[in-house]
Amino acid sequence: MITWPPLLALLIAVPMTSAVLTPAIARGSARRAFWWALAVMSVASIIAAMLIIRVSHEGPFSYVVGGWVAPYGIELRFDEFSAAIAIICLLGTLAIIFSKEYVTHAIAEPRIPYYYTLLLLNLMAMIGFTVTGDLFNLFVFMEILSLSGYALVAVSGERIAEMAAFKYLVMGAVSSLLVLFSIGLLYALTGSLNMADVAERLDGAAAAPLAVAFACITLGFMVKSAVFPLHVWLPDAHAIAPSPISAVLSGLVVKVGIIGMLRVYQIAYSSGAVDMTGLNTVLMWLGAISIVMGAFFAVFQDDIKLMLAYSTISNIGYIVMGLGLASTYGVIGASVHVFNHALIKATLFLGAGAIIHQTGKRTLSDLAGVGRAMPFTVAAISIGAISIVGIPPTAGFLCKWYIALGAMQAGRPFFAFALVFGALFIFIYYIRMVNAFYFQKPKDPSILEVHEAPATMLGPTLLLAALCLVMGVFGRLPLSFIEPAVNRLLAPLGGG
Amino acid sequence: MDAEATRSFLPPLVFLLPIIGSLLTVPLQHISERARNIGLGVVCAAVAVLAVVMAAGVANGMVYETMLLQLTPDIWMYFRVDAMGALFGVTVAVLWLLALVYSWGYMDGGHRPARYFAFFMLCLGWTMGVAYAGNLLTFLIFYELFSILTYPLVVHEETPEAMAAGTKYIIYILIGGTLVLLAIVLTFFAAGDQTLTAGGILTAEAGRTNLLAIFWCFIIGFGVKAALVPLHGWVPDAHPAAPAPFSAVLSGVMVAAGSFGMMRVIFQVFGVDLLRELEVAHYLTWVSGFTVLFAAVLAVNQDDIKRRLAYSTISQMAYVVLGLSLLGVESTIGALVHITNHAFMKGALFLCAGLFIKRLGVRRVSQLDGAAKRMPVTAAAFALAALAMIGTPPLSGFVSKWYLGLGMLETENPWLLAVLLGGALMAGVYLLPIVYRMYFREAVLTAEDKIAEEGREAPASMLVPLVITTALTVFLGLGAALPGMPADLARMAAEAFFH
Repeated sequence: MITWPPLLALLIAVPMTSAVLTPAIARGSARRAFWWALAVMSVASIIAAMLIIRVSHEGPFSYVVGGWVAPYGIELRFDEFSAAIAIICLLGTLAIIFSKEYVTHAIAEPRIPYYYTLLLLNLMAMIGFTVTGDLFNLFVFMEILSLSGYALVAVSGERIAEMAAFKYLVMGAVSSLLVLFSIGLLYALTGSLNMADVAERLDGAAAAPLAVAFACITLGFMVKSAVFPLHVWLPDAHAIAPSPISAVLSGLVVKVGIIGMLRVYQIAYSSGAVDMTGLNTVLMWLGAISIVMGAFFAVFQDDIKLMLAYSTISNIGYIVMGLGLASTYGVIGASVHVFNHALIKATLFLGAGAIIHQTGKRTLSDLAGVGRAMPFTVAAISIGAISIVGIPPTAGFLCKWYIALGAMQAGRPFFAFALVFGALFIFIYYIRMVNAFYFQKPKDPSILEVHEAPATMLGPTLLLAALCLVMGVFGRLPLSFIEPAVNRLLAPLGGG
Repeated sequence: MDAEATRSFLPPLVFLLPIIGSLLTVPLQHISERARNIGLGVVCAAVAVLAVVMAAGVANGMVYETMLLQLTPDIWMYFRVDAMGALFGVTVAVLWLLALVYSWGYMDGGHRPARYFAFFMLCLGWTMGVAYAGNLLTFLIFYELFSILTYPLVVHEETPEAMAAGTKYIIYILIGGTLVLLAIVLTFFAAGDQTLTAGGILTAEAGRTNLLAIFWCFIIGFGVKAALVPLHGWVPDAHPAAPAPFSAVLSGVMVAAGSFGMMRVIFQVFGVDLLRELEVAHYLTWVSGFTVLFAAVLAVNQDDIKRRLAYSTISQMAYVVLGLSLLGVESTIGALVHITNHAFMKGALFLCAGLFIKRLGVRRVSQLDGAAKRMPVTAAAFALAALAMIGTPPLSGFVSKWYLGLGMLETENPWLLAVLLGGALMAGVYLLPIVYRMYFREAVLTAEDKIAEEGREAPASMLVPLVITTALTVFLGLGAALPGMPADLARMAAEAFFH
């Protein structure tokens, strides 16, 4: 038996303290801020890797903060779903590397340390959100996450950045309120805020308030995840933010709602006191509609980042549908897509960011022919595009395959149908994009003289593109890693 | 994973080699065109040799298999070379090699050669994967991506027509691919992941409704690629738009990949007995019979040479599906042999069409008057391949049609002979006028045809692959009964299906 140091506590404490210290350490220098942020994320990544190794050996484990056991103290809990911190650390690190050159153009130098502070806080809050075992803590991390998110959207200085951030803030505030309200209700009903404890005490609770609590918390998380028709804040916010931030927002921050939902399910299924069937049906339909509507809106966009933002709505649709199906395959597919979609969408946003940075243009019609000038970046985008549509053997395919099987398993073949044809619809606009980049005559010949992005931007993009392929070919690893957790989650439902 | 199967590293090598070749294209291109040609030629020849070696092994009763890697906890990427796959693999590899050699001359001075050759090699690898896939998911991996990798080749010329054809192509193909994916999901759910072997994966326990859903999803999905009317819309546009050597493989083996998929479904997913029980195969007979005649009639009216050949492909490939749908031994042999024979016949015709474009600047049938005098070898090759396509004995087209005819009688469908002969007759109607114009009409030259007048016979580098392709057409007919010829492998495959 190995004794493990209290890594779980360090995982949150290290980035949080370091994030706040960034401006002091950088003292106005962008370079120092960058290296500091990179160092912090490296430490966090190492801790995350050790935790994941531990969970794959021992199964879920907890850390009780200050030795105060539940229901009095705060519990940090690490299970297989918490392994999402792997992708948070990976993407966070790459986003920071990408930012090195990118933000020097977007933000004035003295303010750059604050940019890194916000980014680190955002990532740290996401890590905290993923590993906490306490409902109120969940809310606190969600708020840190959202507030830093609003600021990061506004930071880009684009024409409508403040508007986009404000829209994001209004919707975010509504969703936070809903979540807080439900947490309050659950506390009133059970007298506890610890998730496992709440689940045990739910049994005797009154049915009506319980239903309201679960409905509200789901609604709140769905706003955060931008499921159609609660998506209105997303396109502008994700398209306007600086590209590395777009990658983080689209790849990771929207998943907060999904991870939150998984926690809600853990409470609901294990207590058995709440009937989730109705809610699940709603989620399935919302998922299916999101897939189609996201694709539908994306087809009409000319701005590449706006297009990618709408594509996120479709992909969240996959995940929500998979969760709603509540069958083993469906939930495994959804959980793994949290990871894979983050990889794919980050590839696309970083690639788009590199192109925008080099050319100063962001619409498809202006960017025609850019594939000749920036072959590597556009190749990475093409791999991302093939991957996000779910062409085998790329990362996107396995999730599509699993969720489609999940629909069959749940006895709802219609959703398998909606899923695969939704993916087809998505492909249409990615073809438009790849076509414009590679095969169309440039509108303005000067685009052919553009150079490939610098190494700090190209490197992360190519690495992510390679991972899109690797995770498709070695997709077994995440699938079999998450399987025990999903089986445990669905066990109270009776088989699955 | 039967007892006689031999574990071998050869099947994955056949698809990994072209990928390496494809990655090397750009560096080799930077050295020189000669280096690129030699490098890719060696890779492609190696693939062809491996395919032939494996086919020879399979003909001697071996089955090669490889478990490459585990894709999901339930599914392996699994290759298995059986008689049917080996035959298709050899066809693909040999035709590809010929088309590659021809491309050296054809693409000379063309734009963006590196992109063309890189994707050309990549498509070879992926098509070989289709041939050797041992289970449905592996099949899907290669089938879906190779359709997409083809796209840069279809739109290679980047003209507005090519772009429009490419869009049409990709939309048709993706809808087809999506249906195939859906069918594979349904099959996996009904029966799990199983090796594709004779006898089938599905059983009647899955329920009639499910089985019918699976069947039609597969058939419509593959039907798009196999160009069954009314799913054929992409074929007549994509072929004229693509560069000629690629049209040759597009028509010769890519369309056939759809028929090949149907064959896997009919004999190895469902199995003959289950399909007889379901009583659905005769719908397929009608559709394909109609396709044979309808496409042939449409071909007559096309003035664009490559477009006419594309309609001919639709008509000829429907013979394959017709042969499958009869569920008889002889007709299955006919279908399998026809895939191979058609690949070389149509390959030769498209290579000729490419030479007419390249050397005479001629795209239309009506401009071909007197071409035989200026390009005697090309014209002769065209005439031979056309005769083979019509089914003149002893050329290769006759052999496959003979088996198909036997199969029609064997399964007691003599009325289908009318379709068979009607299709052959129509092939005469749309191909022989071209031959007539080339040989027996004098060229009428106007001022703008000056360049055309100066056109001469193509250089040896392009003639050699054309002559070899034509020679194969003749040889596959004359030597059809020799041991080790396609009919042997086809008989092995067919007899396994009907045990």
